[in-house]
Amino acid sequence: MLGGEETMDSKYYLTWEEYLTEHPELEGKSTQAIASKIQKYEDAMFTFIMDLLL
Amino acid sequence: MTDAVSLTNERNQMFRDLFSGKTPKRVPVSNPATQDFAIQYAGLDLVESQWDLTKLEPVYDKFCQDFKTDTYPGGSIRIPSHYQLLGSTPIIMSSSGFMQHPEVVGLLAEEYDQFIASPYDCIIETILPRLYTEFNGQPGKVAMALAKAMRAHSDDMAYLGTIRAKMNAKYGFATMGAALTEAPFDFMADFLRSFKGISGDVRRYPDKVSAACEAVLPLMVKKGTLPNPSMLGYTFIPLHMAPYLRDKDFAALYWPTFKKLIETLAEMGQTVQLFVENDWMRYLDYLYELPENTIMRFEYGDPKLVKEKLGNKHIISGFYPITLLQTGTKQQCVDKAKELLDILAPGGRYWWQADKSIINLEANGPVVENLKAVLEYVYENGVY
Repeated sequence: MLGGEETMDSKYYLTWEEYLTEHPELEGKSTQAIASKIQKYEDAMFTFIMDLLL
Repeated sequence: MTDAVSLTNERNQMFRDLFSGKTPKRVPVSNPATQDFAIQYAGLDLVESQWDLTKLEPVYDKFCQDFKTDTYPGGSIRIPSHYQLLGSTPIIMSSSGFMQHPEVVGLLAEEYDQFIASPYDCIIETILPRLYTEFNGQPGKVAMALAKAMRAHSDDMAYLGTIRAKMNAKYGFATMGAALTEAPFDFMADFLRSFKGISGDVRRYPDKVSAACEAVLPLMVKKGTLPNPSMLGYTFIPLHMAPYLRDKDFAALYWPTFKKLIETLAEMGQTVQLFVENDWMRYLDYLYELPENTIMRFEYGDPKLVKEKLGNKHIISGFYPITLLQTGTKQQCVDKAKELLDILAPGGRYWWQADKSIINLEANGPVVENLKAVLEYVYENGVY
């Protein structure tokens, strides 16, 4: 995860903890492996969106 | 160990030394010419080559072979495919194939409060649909356009990354990661309020501008953070609006969040390279306050004054006028490189880069030979 997201306060960007709250079916599974992948694409989308404005 | 690997190690060490304030083996050199230049140098069509990236590997091979540099030259974030797929209005390809950024307004003055409440939500819901036509319409169509654009961008970046890796392996360039972000005030100006819009806002709604810069700061930090921050690599931040502001507006509206951005990135262990566009000579005392070893690539100004005021704390770069490559003789171009080496190299903390990037190449003009001569001169004579 990159820096700054803890204060982004957006419905279009979820930290892993926020994502997990919305997807309780993942509780107890291999969350470390899942978290890194989910977060990777969350961050990739953020970077793509912001690059459209830079 | 191959020669190229050995060269990469040597160059990486030069940049580690430079970025940590130690005097490197010699002044590192970066070729200021871009991918656009490289395509023209290879005699290929600019439009076709940016759409069909398979043409670029021989382009880069010739470019890397013919021009001395310690870092991979060229590169581009403005590949046309995803802009086309999203119906871009802020970045468009001209008829000659250059990617252009016309003046646009993505955020209206009356939308400041919406932006301040949640910048990222406002970007998704209001700004992108205004600037990119395919973000309008039925949700299914928007989703499909976004998926296609992101896939195109991902494919293009992966392909260019492969070429870069091959060139690094062949020519032994330094291997540095880079991220891109902006000062919060510049971000508000660039694609959101426009040059004209933000200039009026500074007088009409200074409190809104200040609050918007504070609100967007976390996004700018996040955008500028490499996945694994390290000294070998940097966050590149082009600076736009400060020279157009009154001193009091700079102090109140530009500087506070800009300084926080740089300090936050530095605290994470991230090296920062500022592209100090236009003339910042009246702001040198501010720049001095930034974290030690911030890289500052200057466009205009007085190199002696910069060396005197900033050279014992920060890393200085830029100043070499690329216009001279078009208008000067080879000797005049080399003499200018010598003059800047004499001023900026003593004591280290100097990275040879030009005052701006070279995009266009006039057929049969003097730029190619003059640029080769200058790069060769600095490469051979910048030894400590």
